[in-house]
Amino acid sequence: MAAQAQMDVGGILRPQGRPDLTTALQPHHGTLGTRAAAHLLRRAGFGGTPDEIARYASMRAPDAVAALLDLPSTGSIAPPSELDDASRSYAMSDSMDRTMIRRERRQAGQAAITALQLWWLNRMLSAAPLQEKMTLYFHGHFTSRATPRFPWITYNQNALFRKYALGNLRELTRDVSKDAAMLIYLNGNQNVAAHPNENYARELMELFTLGVDHYTENDVRESARAWTGWRVVNRTDTVSFDASLHDSGIKTFLGRTGNFNGDDVVDIIFAQPQCARFFAASLLNWFVYNDPEPPLVDSVAALLRRHEYELAPVVAAILGSGVFYSERAYRALVKSPVEFVVGTYKTLGLKQIDEAALPALQQMGQRLFFPPTVAGWPGGQNWLTSGTMIARQNFLTRLLGSQTLADSSWLHGLPLQSTSAARELADTILQGDVAPASLFELQSYLGGAGSAALPSLSAENYGQRVSGAAYLAMATPAYQLN
Amino acid sequence: MKRRNFLLATASGLAVVANPEHVFAKALAQAPLPGLPGGSDRCLVVVNLAGGNDGLNCVVPHGDEQYYRVRPGLAIARGDVLTIDASVGLNPGMRSLKALYDRGMVAIIQGVGYPDPDHSHFRSTEIWQTAAPDRYEHTGWLGRYFDDASLSRDNLFKGVAVSRVLPEVLVSDRTDIPAIPALDQYAMAADRNALASKAFWAGSRDRRLPFDSPYLAHVMEVEGNAQRSSEELPRLVAGYVAKASYPATPLGRSLALAAQIVGSNLGTKAIYVEHGSFDTHVNQVATQNRLLAQFSDAIGAFYQDLAAHGNDRRVLTLTFSEFGRRIEENGSRGTDHGEASPLFLIGGGVKGGLYGTLPDLRSTNMGNVRYTVDFRSVYATVLERWLGRPSATVLGGSFQKLPVLA
Repeated sequence: MAAQAQMDVGGILRPQGRPDLTTALQPHHGTLGTRAAAHLLRRAGFGGTPDEIARYASMRAPDAVAALLDLPSTGSIAPPSELDDASRSYAMSDSMDRTMIRRERRQAGQAAITALQLWWLNRMLSAAPLQEKMTLYFHGHFTSRATPRFPWITYNQNALFRKYALGNLRELTRDVSKDAAMLIYLNGNQNVAAHPNENYARELMELFTLGVDHYTENDVRESARAWTGWRVVNRTDTVSFDASLHDSGIKTFLGRTGNFNGDDVVDIIFAQPQCARFFAASLLNWFVYNDPEPPLVDSVAALLRRHEYELAPVVAAILGSGVFYSERAYRALVKSPVEFVVGTYKTLGLKQIDEAALPALQQMGQRLFFPPTVAGWPGGQNWLTSGTMIARQNFLTRLLGSQTLADSSWLHGLPLQSTSAARELADTILQGDVAPASLFELQSYLGGAGSAALPSLSAENYGQRVSGAAYLAMATPAYQLN
Repeated sequence: MKRRNFLLATASGLAVVANPEHVFAKALAQAPLPGLPGGSDRCLVVVNLAGGNDGLNCVVPHGDEQYYRVRPGLAIARGDVLTIDASVGLNPGMRSLKALYDRGMVAIIQGVGYPDPDHSHFRSTEIWQTAAPDRYEHTGWLGRYFDDASLSRDNLFKGVAVSRVLPEVLVSDRTDIPAIPALDQYAMAADRNALASKAFWAGSRDRRLPFDSPYLAHVMEVEGNAQRSSEELPRLVAGYVAKASYPATPLGRSLALAAQIVGSNLGTKAIYVEHGSFDTHVNQVATQNRLLAQFSDAIGAFYQDLAAHGNDRRVLTLTFSEFGRRIEENGSRGTDHGEASPLFLIGGGVKGGLYGTLPDLRSTNMGNVRYTVDFRSVYATVLERWLGRPSATVLGGSFQKLPVLA
């Protein structure tokens, strides 16, 4: 039931077969090895550099998971400086021509959002991967869309998600309900006692915590009343509660009656067993595989309830579980564009993501801070169309130039022998997940088949051949899968 | 049947059909549902006039004194309007469109909008593209049309977006639609060794992999589609020679490509193009007149080209814009975001004329034109009377059909 409510979109596929429910959530104790280490780093983060994969490969699963769960404090993180420029322009004097102010503000705001996108991508590349992976999870779950006029609001929401990366889901839900970006995106800002706006109240239950069919229209109305009074202070990024706009009457919500406010609504929602099932299905979808079986969902839901919605122990259990390392979970998800782009920088051992990644991501179908709908990115098959596939390949072609060859931690050091060079490319990029025919073609390509000049791999054609072969390895089906 | 044979002959006549049982032609065999018109070779072209096209300066209510009162700085003078009747006329830049109108090929539907209008570009664009004013939909109305029509998966060009990013209107659950900004940009960036690369793509279909994935089949299909369609498209359309001189504007280039795709008989049912930006908050007249002239000139060339190839009755063009603009001008000789506005249906299959009701500039919706025609009525009409598909499944409800198609 929970899984179905969650997966009310097309193009989402469950792996063949069934999970072994007796061992699904049992801890996996073995040493990881390359394949499982790469799998863990792809799911808990955005993939590993060859060095990281090698380091995790020698670790036992519980130690590897513990290392990933050790998140740094978010207190000292500084936002990109373009945000300051944006806030200055929106404090400009009213005596200036209105149009000028509007244009400057918009330009500064757009520059700030662009800077923020790039800043975040580079954090995914180099900061604590699980912290950023959970931040991205929340961004797609508790969706809001950026308003370029107020870029600080978007940053603040991103920081909120990062702060709660492995925190408490109920507390995050309370806080995000009063977050400026959310109040603007889902009209909480217009929700006042005299004219309730039900947009947020509905999505809070439908998309964020319970799923359709687990509440009534009356629950939506009553919840909206409880949330009245939260406002974004005009032209700022701060939020305040205006008691004069709040409906302090008695509400009946999900079978309980009282003078509820928004926090009460969240507490009542989180007391529903369905809420735990909803998040369990969502987390399994994010980390393990799509459309997880209801009994598996129930097991994780029980964990969530036992830990009172604390994420750290539950995420640790999922990432350390038998089902996570099972063959059914392996490459069972489609790489999102962000995973594809950041993962490619990781795979090549590059240190910095540049601005050209942003239009490429848009062409692949994922603009950070601009989810397509309040339901976030639908994922699964929806990521891959012939157009987005061409965008993926063209991103690789652009990236795999001579500069990348020089900057990559390993691409310049392959053996000058096409068979072993092909093998090493397939191992490093694909962990060996390559079909015999593809491996053969990779060897032929490196060896110069079809090329009249310089038939074998040599120092003269090395750069061209190796970047071409890396491109081809990244064009294989396995590389699109996570 | 004869028609179909003729088309097949044309396709092979271009000498691009490497595979004898070439699949594109198969899609042409799609028959309309019983009781619904819609030839198998019909195509819908959707033009997004992005940014919010001001309806009142596009289809000008020159007979209404109130128009001149509320727009002292930017009303189109009576003498400049391309008069249709005593009430309305077209923007002076739209001479080519007026010529098509005079030939009965243009239906102007006035006052098109939806209940409880949203004034955000983003949201209102999304509403027009998903046809869902009251909920969030991740698929577009044409995307749902394709899913519902279940055209052959082998036809890679059953829908085409002439744009860099696939617009929401063509997003679907099950149909792979390419976004092709221009022929030379729909390409896997050239590899240094095309031959080896091609062999590699063939090799990457090898299923002997050390893992299984529920998405493997889809990835392989789409990788094949991307590789094949980008390689084949230039050859498939190479035999087409335009018989009109298109303006050297982005829209001119987009519609030239649309005519080429239609004329190459790839089984294409819908094409999306975009034009703009019409977001004229400041100094509107110069900007909007230029954009409307560009639109009109490009459409003029498009139908001239289509007619010269005998395709003008096969192609219906539908315009939309996320909203019209405020009735009163603002302080910067522009207009702010508004609500209902007119749209155009163009083509040899159109019953030309004026539809809907003239905007009431006195009884307004807080300064905006009230909608009198739900845009989903226009979509329902196009789906049922042009594309030959039932509309209720696609639109999530039943909407009145308009008598605008011949």
